[in-house]
Formats: sequence, C-alpha cells, structure tokens
Amino acid sequence: MAKLSKEDVLKLARLAKLHLSDDEVEEFRKEISSILGYVEQLREINLENVKPTYQVTGLTNVMRSDDIINYGQNQIELLKNAPQSESGQIKVRKIL
Amino acid sequence: MKISDVITEYTPTIGIECHVQLKTRTKLFAGVGNDAREAEPNTLISHICLGMPGALPVLNSEAVHLASRAAFALNTSPQKFSKFDRKHYFYPDLPKGYQISQYDEPIILGGYVEININDRLRKINITRAHLEEDAGKSTHPAGKDYSLVDLNRAGTPLLEIVSEPELHTAQEAKVYSKELYLLMRYADVSDANLYYGNMRFDVNVSVSKSKELGTRTETKNLNSFRSVEKAVDYEIKRQVELLEKGQKILQETRGWDDVKQKTFSQRSKEDAHDYRYFPDPDIPPVVLDDKFIARVKNEMPIMPSNLRKEFLPLNLDKSAIDTLIDSINAAQFLHNVISRTSTENAKRIAVWLAVEVQSIVSTGESTWEKVKLDIDSFIRLSEMVSNNELSSTAAKSIVGELIINGGDPKKIAKDKNLLQLSDASELEEIVNKVIGDNSNAAQDVKSGEMKAVGFLVGQVMKASGGKANPNLAKELIMKQIGIN
Repeated sequence: MAKLSKEDVLKLARLAKLHLSDDEVEEFRKEISSILGYVEQLREINLENVKPTYQVTGLTNVMRSDDIINYGQNQIELLKNAPQSESGQIKVRKIL
Repeated sequence: MKISDVITEYTPTIGIECHVQLKTRTKLFAGVGNDAREAEPNTLISHICLGMPGALPVLNSEAVHLASRAAFALNTSPQKFSKFDRKHYFYPDLPKGYQISQYDEPIILGGYVEININDRLRKINITRAHLEEDAGKSTHPAGKDYSLVDLNRAGTPLLEIVSEPELHTAQEAKVYSKELYLLMRYADVSDANLYYGNMRFDVNVSVSKSKELGTRTETKNLNSFRSVEKAVDYEIKRQVELLEKGQKILQETRGWDDVKQKTFSQRSKEDAHDYRYFPDPDIPPVVLDDKFIARVKNEMPIMPSNLRKEFLPLNLDKSAIDTLIDSINAAQFLHNVISRTSTENAKRIAVWLAVEVQSIVSTGESTWEKVKLDIDSFIRLSEMVSNNELSSTAAKSIVGELIINGGDPKKIAKDKNLLQLSDASELEEIVNKVIGDNSNAAQDVKSGEMKAVGFLVGQVMKASGGKANPNLAKELIMKQIGIN
C-alpha cells in the first residue's frame, strides 16, 4: 500500500494553497495514503492495449462559431463576484 | 580572464518558445470580444472568463482553423486528434486556478522553419505547437499595498510554438524569430503586432564544452527580434563567465530588462511547477477529418520561402528581397507579375517596389495596404523603358504617380512631357546644336578621346530636358562627328 510522507502532504497542501495544522497533516497523510492504495488496485489490471479515457461523454468537436454571444451580463454585476474591486478592476493582494 | 578568449570553446544551444495571439473575433472558450487593445479594463469579460462555478467553456472553431493554417505554415499538417488539458497553478490573473492548454496531444507535432544564415538555408525543427488560453493582466499601483487585475485578455487564444534546441547563436535566434513572425503574418493567423505583444518569445539558453547539454535558463516575454538577440547574447556571456569562474548555472526563469540590456533572475526552477495536468472534461477532443485538412491546405497562400526561391532569377540584392518579403502586398504582387511577364520586366518592377514604392511608404505618404498596385500598368510602364520610350529616371517618377493616383502610364508620361525623343529627326537638331556649342569636346572625340562622348551625351540629355534617348543620342553624335 502506498505510504505518503509528511513532506508529500505538505507539498500537496502548498500546491493547493492550503494551510494544514500538524494534526491535519497526519490525518490527511493517512487518508490520502488509503485512497491511493485503493486506486492502486487498478495497477493489477493489464491495460496494454487500452486507450486512455480522456472523456466519458464520447463527444468530439463540440465547438461554436467565432461570433460574439450576448450572455446578458454587465461589468458591474460580474465584478460583484469578486471580493473587492476598484475602478473596474479586481483588487487582489499585492503580487510583486 | 577575458570572455572573448574562451567563449568560442563553448557551444551555445538555444530553443525558442513563441506565443502567437490568434486573430479570432472572440476568445478561445467564450463568445466575448478578443480585441483588448483599447478596451477599458474588464469590459471584455463573462462568467466564463471569470471562471465562475458552473460556467461551460466552448471551443472557438476559428481558433482550430487558424491553428491548422499555422501547421501548414510550419510545413506540416494539423494533428487529426488533439485534446485539451488543465494546467494548474495559482495566480491572481488566472481566475479558474488552471489554464486550459494542450498537454500530450497538441494540435501540431513536428514541422520546421527554414531560415537563411549567411546565405545558407537551415531547417529548424518544430517540436510542437499547442492551443491555450492567455491569462489576464495585473498592474501594481505605485505606493499601494494591492494589485489590480484586468481579465480582458484572459481567454484570448494563443498558439505556443516550441522549437527544437537547434539554434546556436544569438543571430540565429533572431533570424528564426523574424521568420516565424513572417510565417504567422503570411498564414494570416495573427495580427502579429509586436508592440501589442501579439507575439512573445521565451528563449532557452545553455552553453557546453562537450556534447552533453549544459543547464539551461529560460528568459521570458521578449517582444522584439532585437531583444531576442540581445537576451541570448547576454545569457551566453553570463553563463560562460559563471562556468569559467567554476560556478554552476542555476536552472531558472529570467526576465529581460530592456533599459539595462540585462537578464535578471525571476524564479528558480527548484520549486518547479507541478502543474498536475489532466484532460479537461469540459472540452471534448478535436478530431479533424481529411476533408477539413485538405480544404485548409488548399486555401494557404504562397509562403516566404517559396517566394524567395521564385525571386532568385531576378538577381535582386538581399536587402531588396527582404523589403519585398516584409511587405506581403509587395511580395504577392511581384509573385503575380512574375507569372505574367518577362524576367527583365519583373526585375525592373521588383526594384521599383523595393526602392520607389518603399520610400513612399517609409515617409508615411502612403502604406503598402493603400498603394495602388496594378499589374497591367506596371508591366506597361516597364515595357516603355524596354522600348526606349521612357528613360529609367522618368519611369521612376511615374511609379510614384501610379501607386498614389493610378492611371495609364503612357498618358501620365505624355502629360508630364516625359516621353523620350526616340525620333532621330527631332533629336538631330539638339545633337547638332550641342556639337556646335562644344567643339572642343567634339574635337577630342575625333582624336580618339572616347570619354568625351559621355560628356556630349550628357549635354544632349540636359538640352532635351532628360527626354533624349541616350543610346540614340550617342549614335547620332558619332555619326555627326564622323566616327562609326
């Protein structure tokens, strides 16, 4: 069974931008290890001639023509979804 | 230690990634206007561009069409099967927390760009090119503790073209970038406006003394051919310097400071992004059939490398060819001219385009898009020179008139009183007078001083207001003086 290290969990947390307490790291280490172990059962199957499943819908070429669509939205309404905005721009914590 | 002494011991290896903004009307996955150049911040957005929960992105078919054209420009065909994947990272200008891109099944695999390095043609292979959406733009108000995000550009379709690491000098990197720019313009897939960042180059540079490649750095977001050249040049020198000092090259992402003409470290690849790619369930794969691929192939215009081959018999100098190729209108016009007339005419017209028309365009009096290029008029004008009806100087002055106002070259020549005197009887009068006025020169000619003939022809030209046919004038002078 796959065993995750503490570092593995911390790396995952960092990639997902999550802060975990020490207790949580240990908790998730066990939980994710068991999930991985469960998924690992798939390795027992011979998949040599099986194409990867990219899609379960079976659809291809779902496209639209290059035309403007009126979604019935406006800037003010849309920007209300952002926690903060200022003169039409979305305000975020300083980046640089 | 001087760098110049040791730099030749190292072989630089350069690969280039180029992001090309495709000229669709709308974004890659949303029916929202794509031209963010003059738009106020966040006026070209939708629930899709903002990555709202439940929003369903739908692929723009024109982006697939343009990418397919780009494939042919790169001397290959688009892949029959390609798909989209999610590339995950957190950044405020990427609202979804992932970018929709193409990971292991891109729309273009292979192909090449042909470049001319010191009169030698080289093929630079293309690894791949994939479709992806652009991110938004963030600004950092001075003195404030926050940044502002404008998502107008988020979702703009990009084609990222990745070259094999087959370039070895800064000059080659520049020539490759310029050629790629021409290809994208000829294929008409991008406005390719460098000022607006329609094409952005990332250069991967490493140096090595052995066959094994050295550690590479990536200098990102170069937006001119000159900065590609300078950044590569700078990186080669910087890396050689470090290695000579016994230090190691850090694998890292660097930026280019155009003012200081230096690259600078941005982030180390130590915390190399783990993008956790997986197939995007929102976007079903793209399957292109033979009919579509054949249709796109058919609609492709003639490309620069073929035009250059076609222009070869005209024996033009390199700068004239570059001028013509730089302007698609000029090159395509000349292409049509060549199929319609003699090499002599085509060459004369080529020079008119590269010199006369170009000078009118570069003074801003007109543009290559606006000038009137009428094949019949140009061929007729050239024939008038061949037939001695018009001096080449007079013809050049008519070219200006022709491209601004159009019209019949013969009529313009008549109206401007430029038609050559090719009628011997008319010219004889002038010749007689010139010989009479310059008896010394005439005497010199008689005694074998042939240089004086040129002087007399010049005087005849002057007296005729430039209209005399110089060959006929010379003939008449010789006859008059009594030498044959």
